[in-house]
Amino acid sequence: MRTLGLAVVSLLAAAGAARADGSVTLRTVYYKETATRVEQPMLDSMFDVGTHGLLTAHLLVDAITSASAGSGAANAAAFTEHRYEGAAGYLHQLDHLRLGGDFKYSTESDYRSVYFGGRAELDLAQKNLVLAGGGGVSLDRVSAAAAQGPSMPTINCRPNESGSASDHCGLHVFSGFVSASQIVSRHGLVAVTYDIARLDGYQANPYRLVVTNTGFAPETHPDERLRQDVAVSARYYLPATETTLIGAYRFYFDNWDVHAHTPELRIVQQAGANVDASLRLRYYRQSKSFFFADRYDSTDPAMNNPAFKGNLTDDPKMSAFTGQTVEAKLGVLGDAFGAGGTWAGARFEGILEYVIQNNRFGNALVAQFAITLPFAY
Amino acid sequence: MLWSHASVRAILIVLVVALAGPGCVVVRAHQREDLAKRAMTNDRDSGEARFGEHERGSREGAEGGTGQPGGGCGCN
Repeated sequence: MRTLGLAVVSLLAAAGAARADGSVTLRTVYYKETATRVEQPMLDSMFDVGTHGLLTAHLLVDAITSASAGSGAANAAAFTEHRYEGAAGYLHQLDHLRLGGDFKYSTESDYRSVYFGGRAELDLAQKNLVLAGGGGVSLDRVSAAAAQGPSMPTINCRPNESGSASDHCGLHVFSGFVSASQIVSRHGLVAVTYDIARLDGYQANPYRLVVTNTGFAPETHPDERLRQDVAVSARYYLPATETTLIGAYRFYFDNWDVHAHTPELRIVQQAGANVDASLRLRYYRQSKSFFFADRYDSTDPAMNNPAFKGNLTDDPKMSAFTGQTVEAKLGVLGDAFGAGGTWAGARFEGILEYVIQNNRFGNALVAQFAITLPFAY
Repeated sequence: MLWSHASVRAILIVLVVALAGPGCVVVRAHQREDLAKRAMTNDRDSGEARFGEHERGSREGAEGGTGQPGGGCGCN
């Protein structure tokens, strides 16, 4: 947290003669569910590079305190671990085309991820239609190093292959997307996005044990997953009341037989030039994966239902469940407090979110506070 | 069968109506004052959107729909 604060001060102190614009956002998030609490301070920044470039970067720290066995806790004793993430991206404007690339690195005691990606955006019909596409590769490494027991367990990287036990396993993710956004009137626009991701490697939780009628067994998930979704959204602005209505719907499906429907509605109300408030309602419903069962017959995968194909899971995300989210947000510009100079354009934001979920994860509370400060350099 | 033919048809219809339908409309730059408002362009900062994806990815079996990369944590 102190490092992030120093970075903000350094950026502001470096501001000299005004040649280009940028912004820096300091955000802190508090998350709480039944057995887990997360505090996440993060720093996001954007800088103009010349007249055609935009550089983005972020740093964050996750402080995760959990008593959940799925996080590695032993005997429900809470412990804290940290995750560090840094990322940078660059987008370059070439007439009607924008080309960009992203890099992201994330590390914690039992997980490391390196991501490389690229994207292209094309403006058509006087920027009434924007087409975009991109893809990336994530090279991840999983271990059970956060286990709080007397020793670090080994993992069966390929459970259906003998001799695949190791202290760490790999997971490669290849992802891509295409999207289109179309202006439909002076006050409305619609958008559609299609995502696809192929995951190859270890995808179970190395700490979680599955209860069967003959004892406990390590969780075993398939090592290949193909995930796809189609999302559509529409935004409409009502000038008379300065209200924006945003509707969205996503249909998700994968080859583990998980299908999910997610409709969402947001209402953003402007109150004068300096204040906006919004309300978000989200519904989520998913089916169970093909290998989920409330209780398995045996620790021996061959003795269970053949439809499970040797897999066992205790992951609530593999079950059928529904969830509802309610969120309220308030944004205020510094000008509302009579602040002058750069601080007049600073944005202060507070968010409160409550998630109701009818599975073992239970309900969750999220609170956020953020300050965005524009600057010139 | 990952999803039914009816689902595929419904999504295709939505796509066609959403994109081909208004395709002939051209709103010129000087007419886009309302479209340029914060709520109409991007009402969520990147940090807010990123945490939301992270949170939902650790609690739900589905993810995506944002055109952005996910993953990157051992929150399975």
